[in-house]
Amino acid sequence: MKTQILAFTLSITVCFVARADLKFDKTEIELHPTPADKQAIGHFTYLNNGKTPVKFKSVKASCGCTAAQTQKDEVKPGEKGEVTATFNIGDRTGTQVKTVTVETDDAAHPHTILTLRTIIPQLLEVTPTFVFWKQGEKPDPKPITVKVGKQFTVKNIKVTSSAPDFQTKVEQAGKGEFKIDVQPKDTNSVTGTTLTIQPEDSPKVFYATARVTGAPPPAPMAPADQKAPAGQAAPVAPTDQKAPIGKTAPAASGAPAPAGQTH
Amino acid sequence: MGEAIYFRGKISWQSPISPSELVSVDQARAWGENVIWVDARLDADFGRDHVRGAISLNEDRWNELLPQFLAAWSPGKKAVVYCSAESCDLAREAAERLRKEAQIPDVFVLKGGWEAWLKKNR
Repeated sequence: MKTQILAFTLSITVCFVARADLKFDKTEIELHPTPADKQAIGHFTYLNNGKTPVKFKSVKASCGCTAAQTQKDEVKPGEKGEVTATFNIGDRTGTQVKTVTVETDDAAHPHTILTLRTIIPQLLEVTPTFVFWKQGEKPDPKPITVKVGKQFTVKNIKVTSSAPDFQTKVEQAGKGEFKIDVQPKDTNSVTGTTLTIQPEDSPKVFYATARVTGAPPPAPMAPADQKAPAGQAAPVAPTDQKAPIGKTAPAASGAPAPAGQTH
Repeated sequence: MGEAIYFRGKISWQSPISPSELVSVDQARAWGENVIWVDARLDADFGRDHVRGAISLNEDRWNELLPQFLAAWSPGKKAVVYCSAESCDLAREAAERLRKEAQIPDVFVLKGGWEAWLKKNR
């Protein structure tokens, strides 16, 4: 009996001592890329403090915009390494939080969640990025506000319209703020323009859109048991609807795509 | 209480979507022609398959893709944004940008995302 107890105790002790122990130095990293950066890369370093090797089973990012990689498949006792998380900034703004889930064969800690917090600096904040007039509406100017980010200095901005049907006027609206007045020449037909907003002395470009839109779409014949979510107004009465110039209206939605039809 | 303390650093930092901003597949389909379907997934996923007539609008190429959406939009239309599944954030983020930056009203997130759409249409 004594021998059995001793063997049991010994096996428990051996298991405890010989266990794997992968420890990350940090499980959360904050990155501050520059406005010119296209990617933000986080390096999550680790050390195997245990007595046995640790194998990575999987490393998965929470978003397709983030790629995660391990340097190796197996970490030997005492060995160091890192998991690299590469976040594609794209046209994202503000604070972006993405996670990477690391799965290993370490029985004590099979899952570790690594957090990458990226603070994307915003040189200019354009609000709204879209102004529109209904067809036939009085073509009064509509304002777009451009605010300069706190950590930046922009003395001037240049605004260019891609279509001559719209005029723009820029004025300073206080410290670090500009006002762009956008005005269509008329609202007789559906038309649009892309406004390119470029800060002085910066290659970075910002965009806004101005459009004269078609009339609202016809009201749908909703089944009696279907209600729009709270606070949603029913569509207005049907009128003639035209597709925007040079654009094809989206295909009838609500139906499944035919087999094999992908775009 | 103990659980609350243990999980304080592990809970999602994303604010949940308000129920009034969510729409089911059936509800969105009932809106018929009045809906613009917006696919917030990345280009590769959109390229594989998407809701017929959907417009691609992801944050990788937001500035480039947004004008396409705006050209299709007109007052009174509802935008239904989806990503791959219930758990993804891309639709919520795209919907928020449409509301806040472009100031588009009536922007909804599809409950269950593309997975829910497929279930209803297979």
